[in-house]
Amino acid sequence: MKRLTLLLAGAALSLGMTLPASDPLTVSEGDEHGHDSSASAPEGPHDRPPLDVVLDIHTDAWLRAPSEDWFEAQAELDPDRFSYVDDLLDIDGDTEGGYQDKLGEYELRYDAEEDEIAYWQYISADRLTQGRRDYVQFCSSCHGFDGDGYGRSGQHLRPPPRNFTKPFYKFTKVPGHLLPSDESLILLVERGLNGTPMLPWALSRDQLNDIIQYLKSLSPEGVGWRDVYSEVGHIVESDGDPWTGREAEAIQAGQDVYHGTAKCYSCHPGYVTPEKLAEINGLPAGSMPRENFTYPIAKITENYEVQGVPMLLLPPDFTWQDVRAGTTPLELFETIGAGIGGTAMPQWKGSLSDKDIWAMAYYVRSLIETYKGHPEKRAEFMSSLRTGR
Amino acid sequence: MNALRLSFNPAKTLTRVLASSFALFLFSAGVSAQDVVNRWGPTPSASSYGDDFDDLFWLITALVSVSFALVVILLVVPLIRDRARPGKKASYDHGTSLHDKRFTACVSIIVFVVLDAWVLVIAMEDLQTGFWNYPNPDNAATYKVEVLGQQWAWNFRATGLDGEFGTPDDILTTNTLTVPKDRPISMNFTSKDVIHSFFLPDMRTKRDVNPGSVNIAWFEPVIAGDFDILCAELCGFAHYQMYGKLHVLEQDVFDTWEKEASLMAQAAYDKNDTEAHWAWEWQE
Repeated sequence: MKRLTLLLAGAALSLGMTLPASDPLTVSEGDEHGHDSSASAPEGPHDRPPLDVVLDIHTDAWLRAPSEDWFEAQAELDPDRFSYVDDLLDIDGDTEGGYQDKLGEYELRYDAEEDEIAYWQYISADRLTQGRRDYVQFCSSCHGFDGDGYGRSGQHLRPPPRNFTKPFYKFTKVPGHLLPSDESLILLVERGLNGTPMLPWALSRDQLNDIIQYLKSLSPEGVGWRDVYSEVGHIVESDGDPWTGREAEAIQAGQDVYHGTAKCYSCHPGYVTPEKLAEINGLPAGSMPRENFTYPIAKITENYEVQGVPMLLLPPDFTWQDVRAGTTPLELFETIGAGIGGTAMPQWKGSLSDKDIWAMAYYVRSLIETYKGHPEKRAEFMSSLRTGR
Repeated sequence: MNALRLSFNPAKTLTRVLASSFALFLFSAGVSAQDVVNRWGPTPSASSYGDDFDDLFWLITALVSVSFALVVILLVVPLIRDRARPGKKASYDHGTSLHDKRFTACVSIIVFVVLDAWVLVIAMEDLQTGFWNYPNPDNAATYKVEVLGQQWAWNFRATGLDGEFGTPDDILTTNTLTVPKDRPISMNFTSKDVIHSFFLPDMRTKRDVNPGSVNIAWFEPVIAGDFDILCAELCGFAHYQMYGKLHVLEQDVFDTWEKEASLMAQAAYDKNDTEAHWAWEWQE
């Protein structure tokens, strides 16, 4: 055990938390010879103070669990484990019913201070330690040893790696005002995020599960999974693709929703001529909704920040940038339906019909397939929009 | 009865059967030397100095193959010719006679002086005209790219239209690098964390990417298309996934691309987010 600790600490040390004096990325004032007069001789790896990377976690954690609906579904799947008990809690003489977990992992608890009843999940210190060890090995280089999203390799990266001490997640396909479920986080880590250094991680389900529990436990007291008022959500669901076999029709319908009801062009680029846009919206010809209609508009988002600087986020131009969380109609349906947590992209499921969201998914996929990675074809298309021909 | 007696040598028969079936296999599979190279050899060279590199590679392969064949023949022939037979007496030789010494010296001179010097001269010529013949950075035709390696991705920064690094129109990409065809591409490398190695197998270009210092390399793509970018230095758990794409575009397509990418970069540029402005001073 001590050996493993030393080994991992050595690995952590080799990642290097401090920049060597000669690092070209360090901004320093040089003298007239171009040498940095303030810097002493470059430090060797053995001269640096050892990193104090704690690998063992000694305290158990109670984290927010999904709501009662989830337990209802679990009770149907596994009636031996989960059962409904009418008088599960006794609060000052009043009884409260709820689901009981025979294994004791989930528990309905009463918070007397906040006067709230909520389901909580028990994570043992051993499990957190297991998750912490895998986290340090696989995740910490970018996400940081403390989970603050500021690891050595994550610096200078845009968009920045996720800060796990905040309850905001972007591509979990769970509506942004809810906390992502375990399943959605595991799927995200397994799939990775297209076009970023967040890779598809080929780890075992057990490892992923432990890492996810550890990530959740990084929430400070009263925030995220340690907040009695927060709610755990699930990946948005659909009753099935209503456009199967009618793709061309779906793309047309999607174009109308994108440039009509949903007004996606207020942040993403518009992909129709001004005449067409006026026609879709029933506006007088020649009226433009905004300048640079065919370019995306970046927005500052306070929810994502690096060292106190809020991030400027650029919504993707589907013919140019990568879409992070999959380009199949189902994946796009889930992403559009759930919205992007902590950003200006809202949850569309509920405000639009499923049929319209599916149509947009088909439309966005057709934009990606036709123009992305084909600069000539794309240039022709975009310039035809810009010159109004 | 004599005519009907067949002489049967099992070893000889087995050898013949194996040899003829192998010949039949090669014939039926239509395997030629070219097929072998196409299937298991390197991909076609796509850079200006790649053919020189390949010529040297095949020359060395040919020289080594001939030497190997010679050594095998010299080993196998005496084994068969001088094998134990009735009436054959074994002899023992230290190889210390003048004749032996002369022979050894001749072989050594041929291998170490003539062949190796030949290869060395060609290699030095290739280095001088290829790898080390860095393009003039002040020449407008030279396309400059700063490459920042990290666990486990490649970050690229190109100058955009203004030709200057560290300006709002710098084109920043992760894992995809787009360059023009028939122009020298000059690159600066450094790493955020550990040692990586930037490898373009189709361009025959490879350079170590070290934290704390800047390495340089260049290539000139002569074929338009998509090529692999790999990491050639074991850099941690996900080294195998440190994979990118090089897009080589014709000059006119590239011009359109660069203009658009530059505009897109300006839209995403935030002057307050200084930590994202990681460009360094160009090294030659």
